Amino acid sequence: MSILTLNNVSYRYDGTKKNVLKGVSASFEAGKVYAIVGKSGSGKSTLLSLIAGLDVCTDGKILHGENDLKQIDRDEYRAKGIGVVFQAFNLITNSTAIDNIVLSMQISESNERDKKSFAYELLEKVGIDKETADRKVLKLSGGEQQRVGIARALAHNPNIIIADEPTGNLDTDTENDVLKILSLLAHDEGKCVIIVTHSKKVSSIADEVLGMKDGKLTSVNQGK
Amino acid sequence: MYIIQNALKNVVRNKGRNILLGSIIFAIIATTVVALMITNTSDRIIDEYRGQFGIEVTIERNTQTFVDMRQRGEAAMGISITNEQFIAFADSDLLQRSVIMNSAMIYSETVTAIGQTGELAAGHGFAIAPTMQMHGNNWEDFANGHRVLVVGEMPVRANEVVISEELAELNGISVGDTIRLFGTVLEPAAAMGFTPPVFDLVVTGVYFCAAESVGTWGSTTMIRQNEVLTVADTIPGAAIIARYYLRHPSYIDAFEQELRAKGLHPIFDVNTDEHLFNAIVGPVEGMRGIVMTFMIVVLVLGAIILILLSSIAIRERKYEIGVLRAMGMKKAKVALGLWFEMITITGICLIIGIIVGSLVAQPISTELLAQQQETAQNIQDQFFAGREIAGLSRVVNDDPITEINISLGMDTMLQIILISLFLASAAGLAAISKITKYEPIKILMERN
Repeated sequence: MSILTLNNVSYRYDGTKKNVLKGVSASFEAGKVYAIVGKSGSGKSTLLSLIAGLDVCTDGKILHGENDLKQIDRDEYRAKGIGVVFQAFNLITNSTAIDNIVLSMQISESNERDKKSFAYELLEKVGIDKETADRKVLKLSGGEQQRVGIARALAHNPNIIIADEPTGNLDTDTENDVLKILSLLAHDEGKCVIIVTHSKKVSSIADEVLGMKDGKLTSVNQGK
Repeated sequence: MYIIQNALKNVVRNKGRNILLGSIIFAIIATTVVALMITNTSDRIIDEYRGQFGIEVTIERNTQTFVDMRQRGEAAMGISITNEQFIAFADSDLLQRSVIMNSAMIYSETVTAIGQTGELAAGHGFAIAPTMQMHGNNWEDFANGHRVLVVGEMPVRANEVVISEELAELNGISVGDTIRLFGTVLEPAAAMGFTPPVFDLVVTGVYFCAAESVGTWGSTTMIRQNEVLTVADTIPGAAIIARYYLRHPSYIDAFEQELRAKGLHPIFDVNTDEHLFNAIVGPVEGMRGIVMTFMIVVLVLGAIILILLSSIAIRERKYEIGVLRAMGMKKAKVALGLWFEMITITGICLIIGIIVGSLVAQPISTELLAQQQETAQNIQDQFFAGREIAGLSRVVNDDPITEINISLGMDTMLQIILISLFLASAAGLAAISKITKYEPIKILMERN
């Protein structure tokens, strides 16, 4: 069953006439890993921003369940409905790893009683020990920061995880670890994981691969 | 709740930037504390002075009007204020208090005045020249300490008097003795058969006199120790001297209207003795003015610097705000967090500022007041320089306020807190309004 549906989605930036996305339609199900692939400028990152609720489409609809993202409180959608893993990590850098996770839980008004303990558990799950968790983000390696980013995306237990080039800044070993985590989230925990990438390795773990070119969805292939 | 916790953590996390902001806020608050403490204390002192002494009203004949009337052939010479009018004028709600005094020139066959060398004789147009003065209800010197009762009691009824130690000693007069004094009669009146009024008076007390005489002008009546003091009823027919003290200087026009309605002739001008008032509270008002101006300049400049610094500081945190927004934090909560950070910094500075400001306010005010006092003294010296020659003395209680005890009252505290809140809010909101206009995607894209 689809938990996220794109209906003829188009987008153009303010002050421009050219559509970056042109009538994109797709649906995403829980328990699967999706890879959106394409060259730079194909519109895949823009599509991800729209799915993440960071922007709204110019035409068409994006439905989270049955809710149109244009109609709902997108702050709340970002806080509770979706987890985003950014290529540039986008963590609060002068804060500790654990504080980043706890803050995310607080923003989403998580019911978790002992938020800090839960945050340590999450971090451990993505391979960050307690000592590292208590360090400031600025003092963590790129791989560690990305793991923290993934943990933060999971902190409020969303049913959709989207990741924008999640391994773009990582070495091969760390890349493998991160992909393994994302794969497990979909297949073991039933999340819908959508990864934007132009890495073949990343798309190789996907259950479905969506190709994009010039703002259009050109192909949908079964992965693996 | 987490907004507050996060804001408190951010205050520590960004301590370098916050110390800079805090230093500016501290400087503004400390200056404001000093300024407000001084101005509020000054206001209180001025109000207390007004409440205690009132503003003296002067009713003087206008020389120009007098000349104009004479040139027009109108009878200006005989226009005066009657005793009944003086008493009626005192009946006003606009007055803080009034003093009705009277006075008579006197001589005595049995009491020798200090400085009196010869026998009683005609002089100055009188059948017998006066050697002393008798004042009714004139207790001002007792109030200001220039006269002190050393023996006996003050007069409370008609025909009771107090005299100076010197006069008592010279004439061997003791408390309880009765002395006989005479009022003066002009020579023409004496020729027509008028006899001088006789006063048989009981001495109820003896006073020490430190009040200085303003020259003798060849007459013993000018020697202050020759003044016989009594209640006004002792000399009912004597000319009245009235002093009126307004509750507030602004009441002068209304009071003048009352006096005109009670028959005061237009030849008389009604004014407040602003010079006297200014001589007393002028240094304090001067100091207050300087401090207020300084405070306004500091507040305006400080607020501008603070807003600029805060805008720069918030711009540096644009990325952090973008991340928070991307995580789903609402604009209002981001703004509340930033505002609370500013309030926390301001709160810390407020406590330190109040402590430091309170410590330095007293020495600063003392120094400023001393400077103002010096300036006021110079002006006053110039004002009185020519007048003392003309027989005018400085009014005894015109001593300026030379010391004020600065204190931090609740009203001052409240004003400081409100100003601090305003500063923090202005600085915070100016910056927040800028940053919250951006969508998170734009901030993050710029960053990336």
